[in-house]
Amino acid sequence: MAQDTTVPKLNFEYWLDKAVEWGQATTLESQKDVCLHLPQLQEFLHQLYETLKDVQGSVAAIQQFPLIGQLLGRLCWNPFVIGYDESQKALMWCLCCLYSSEPQNPVEVKANSWICSLLCHLLSSSEWESNEAETNLFISTLGYTSADYYGHLVKNMIFSLVAELRENPFNGLNIQRSVSASRVNAVSICCVPLITLPDLTPLLETLLLYHGGSPKEILCPEFLEAVNEAFLKKKISLPDSAVCSLWLRHSPSLEKATLHLLDQLVSIQLNSLEEVACVIKDSLLPQAASHPAIFRVVNEIFKNALLETDGASEVMTIIQVFTQLFLEARQNQNEQHKFPLKAYFPCHHQPLVRALLRRPSELPTTSWSQHLKNISDMLKALVEDTNVSSLTDLFETWYLVTCFGEWLDIAAEQLLKATVQPDALLWLLAFYYCPQNENQQRTQAMITETTDTSKEVYSLLLRTAYRFKHHGEGNQRTVKLLNELLQKFTLKV
Amino acid sequence: MAAVLGRVAELPALLALSRSALVRHWDAPALDRALEWARYFQHVHDRFRARPQLREALGRRLRRAQPCSPPLGFSALGRCPELLGLALLENRALPPAACRRLLRRLLLPPPPGAGAGPEPRGLALLARRKAAARLLALPRRPGGTEPRVRAEAQLLLGRLREEEAQEGAGAAGRPRWLCGVLERLPPPRAFAVVAAALALLGQGSGAEGAGDGDRDGSGQDGNRASAAGDGCIAGLLLSWLLGNRERFSAFCLCLPGSLLASLAGHYSQLSRSYLDLLTGWGSHLHYDPLQGRWVKSCLEKAELSWEELRERFSCLCQGSALLREQTQAALKLLKTRDGDFKVRGLSVWTDLLMEVEE
Repeated sequence: MAQDTTVPKLNFEYWLDKAVEWGQATTLESQKDVCLHLPQLQEFLHQLYETLKDVQGSVAAIQQFPLIGQLLGRLCWNPFVIGYDESQKALMWCLCCLYSSEPQNPVEVKANSWICSLLCHLLSSSEWESNEAETNLFISTLGYTSADYYGHLVKNMIFSLVAELRENPFNGLNIQRSVSASRVNAVSICCVPLITLPDLTPLLETLLLYHGGSPKEILCPEFLEAVNEAFLKKKISLPDSAVCSLWLRHSPSLEKATLHLLDQLVSIQLNSLEEVACVIKDSLLPQAASHPAIFRVVNEIFKNALLETDGASEVMTIIQVFTQLFLEARQNQNEQHKFPLKAYFPCHHQPLVRALLRRPSELPTTSWSQHLKNISDMLKALVEDTNVSSLTDLFETWYLVTCFGEWLDIAAEQLLKATVQPDALLWLLAFYYCPQNENQQRTQAMITETTDTSKEVYSLLLRTAYRFKHHGEGNQRTVKLLNELLQKFTLKV
Repeated sequence: MAAVLGRVAELPALLALSRSALVRHWDAPALDRALEWARYFQHVHDRFRARPQLREALGRRLRRAQPCSPPLGFSALGRCPELLGLALLENRALPPAACRRLLRRLLLPPPPGAGAGPEPRGLALLARRKAAARLLALPRRPGGTEPRVRAEAQLLLGRLREEEAQEGAGAAGRPRWLCGVLERLPPPRAFAVVAAALALLGQGSGAEGAGDGDRDGSGQDGNRASAAGDGCIAGLLLSWLLGNRERFSAFCLCLPGSLLASLAGHYSQLSRSYLDLLTGWGSHLHYDPLQGRWVKSCLEKAELSWEELRERFSCLCQGSALLREQTQAALKLLKTRDGDFKVRGLSVWTDLLMEVEE
C-alpha cells in the first residue's frame, strides 16, 4: 500500500495529545471522548504499523517518530483502547516492530525491556500492578495461563453484573434500588469498546432490557448507537426483544436501521421478491413494527423515501412487502399483546383501514370483488368530501392504499379477467396511479393512460407471482401464463 | 506410542527451562525449536483427547516426570503454546534475538504460507479480555463471591477434577500438592478461594470446569462419576481446612458469617467444627457489669467479640432448616449446661439464644 509518511506524522501529534488528555480514561467525559474516536484511532494504528513494518529497531523508529514510545505507552494503559475491536492487535504489532534484535546501546536495551514489560502488562502479569503477581503465580502453579484465568474472570464479572441488574424488579411502591442510575450509565459506557466481544452478549441483552423506572434514558447514547452499529453490520446477534427495546429507547438507531435497510434493498436487483422479503425479515424491522411507535417512525421514513424518489416503483414494492411482513408478524402475536389498529393508523378512517388490512387469503375469492367495491366506495367518499380533503390528506390516504398493494394487484387481476363490473375497480386503480386528477376525469385518465407503465406492470406481475406461490392460488394455466409474461418483461426491462 | 510418551515426558522439563535463567543461551533457532515442540504437544493433545485410555497413559507419564510441585495433567498439553509462549515472554533472561523471534511468532500475523505458532488471535483475545476485566471492575458486593476469587476457585477445581478423573480416589500424593499450591497465596486469599471452591461444589456446578474440555464424560455415567468426584474433592478441601486448628480458626475469623453459614449448610463436617469453634470463643467471653456487655477476656487473642459472635449465630439461624435446628439445639444445650438462666448477663449462651430467637 502506497504510504504517504507525512500523513501519519501529522496525525501523530493529534493522537499523542488525545492520549495525554485521556489518561487512563477514568472520568466519564474522557471515556465518552475515547469512545467517539475509537474507530479512527484503530485506523491510525494500522497505518502506523504499515509504516513501522520496514523499520528496524527502536532507534530508527524514534528518528522517524520521536514520541512513539510515549504514544504507545499511554495507549497501553487505556483499557478502552485495548478493549476495542482490533486495536490491541495493532498496538502489539507496533510494539513488536520497535523491538531490536541486536541492541547497539543501553537506550535500545532499555527500550527492549520496556516493550517486554508493556506486553506483559497487556497479556499476563504486569510489573506495575501489585496484585497480579500473586494471582499469576497461583495460576501457573496449577498449570494454567492468564488466558484461562481471564476467560473465567470476564465470564464471572458478566454473570455478576447481569445478576445485579436483573434482581432489580421495578416495584411501583418500593423505590429502594440496589443499582443506581449513574452506575448503570457507567457500566453502559464501559461496554462500548467491548460490544463485539462474544462474552458480553448476556450483559448487552440485560442492559437493553433494563428499565430503572426513571423516565429519562439511563443508558449512554454512545452505547446504544454502538450496539445498533454492530447489529446492523451483523457483528453481533441479539434476541429480538433486545433489539426492539434498543429501537424503542433510541430513535436515531431506529432511523439508522430503517435507512440501512432501504440502502441494502436498493442495491439488490429486484428480481426476486423472496430475496427482498428475506432481507426485510432479517432486519427485524417488521417484527419490531408491532410496536406502534416503531411502526410510525418506519412508516414516516418510507413515506419520505417514496416522495424523494417521486414514487419509484422499487420503493413502492419495498413498502408493500414490508407491510405484508408486518401484518404477518402482527398476526403471530399473542392476542393480549396486540395493539389496536388505531394505534398504527391514528389519522385514518378506521373502517377503511380494517378493510385494507383484511388479507385476501382470509376471504373467499368470490367475495373479493365486493370487498374491493367497498374499499373503492369508501375511498371515493373520503376523497370527494371537499370539506375534509386537503392535499396532504389526499396524499396520506393514497399512501395508505399504496401500502396494501395486495388488494390493488387483485383489482388489476379482476379487471384483466373482465368478469365483473369494472367501474369500481377502474376508479380504484386510477386513484392509485394518478391520485391528483379531477375526480370526474379519473376514469377517462385510466383508459387513455399512455405513459410508460411497464415498470409498474412488471412490479404488479412479480407481486402476483409471489402471491400465487405463497398462498397457493391460481391454477396451472394462469401460473404458466404469468411466468411467460414475466419472462417477456425481464427481457424488456 | 512409546516415542510419543517419551517426548511428552519432556514437557515439564521444557517448561521449567523456559522459566529459568538458562534461556540466556538460546538463539532464534533454539526458540523456534521450543515453539515447535509446543505445537507438537498441542497436536498430541488434540489427537488423543477423545481416546481415554491413551489420554490416561499420557497423563500418567507426565506425572511420573515431575517428582515435586503440582503435576501437569493431560490438558496442559493442549495449552502448551500459550504456556510456553507466555512463560518465555515473562522471562527477562531471554536474549534479544530470541525474544524478537518470540514476539514475531506470538503476536504478528503469520506471513502467508508459513506455519503458524500459537494463534496470535488467541493472545489478542486475551489482551481484550484483560482490558474488559479492568473496564467492568466492580466495587465489592457484600455477600457475593468476588469474580476474581471465583475465577481462581474455578481453576483450582478444574485442576482437582482433572486429577480426580484420571487417578480416581485414593491418590496419596494429592494433598501434598494442594497444600503447596494453597500456601502460595497469602492466607486471606487462600481461604477465600477455598471457600469459593466449596461453594461452587455445593451448588453442584458440574459443568463449570476450567474449560480444558477434558470432561468428555458423556451420559449418565459421566455425571454420576463427576458428582462422586466432586464429593471427593470437597472432602479434600475440607480436610485441608479442618486438619489444622489454627488454620481453621483463621479461616472462620476472616470470612463473613453469611458465607460460612452457607457453607455450613452444605457440609456437615464444617458445621460441626464451626459450631465447636464458636462455642470455644463464646466461652472465653465474660460479662462486664460496668459496661453492661460481654467482652473478650483477652484482647490479643484472635477471637470474636460478642457482636461478631451474635452475628455469626444469626447467620447460622438464617440458613437451612436443618442448620437452624442444629444451631438452636447446640445453644440450648450450652445454656442448660451453664445453669439454664433466664436472665441476661449471667450466661453468654442464654443471651445469645435470646438474641437469635428474636
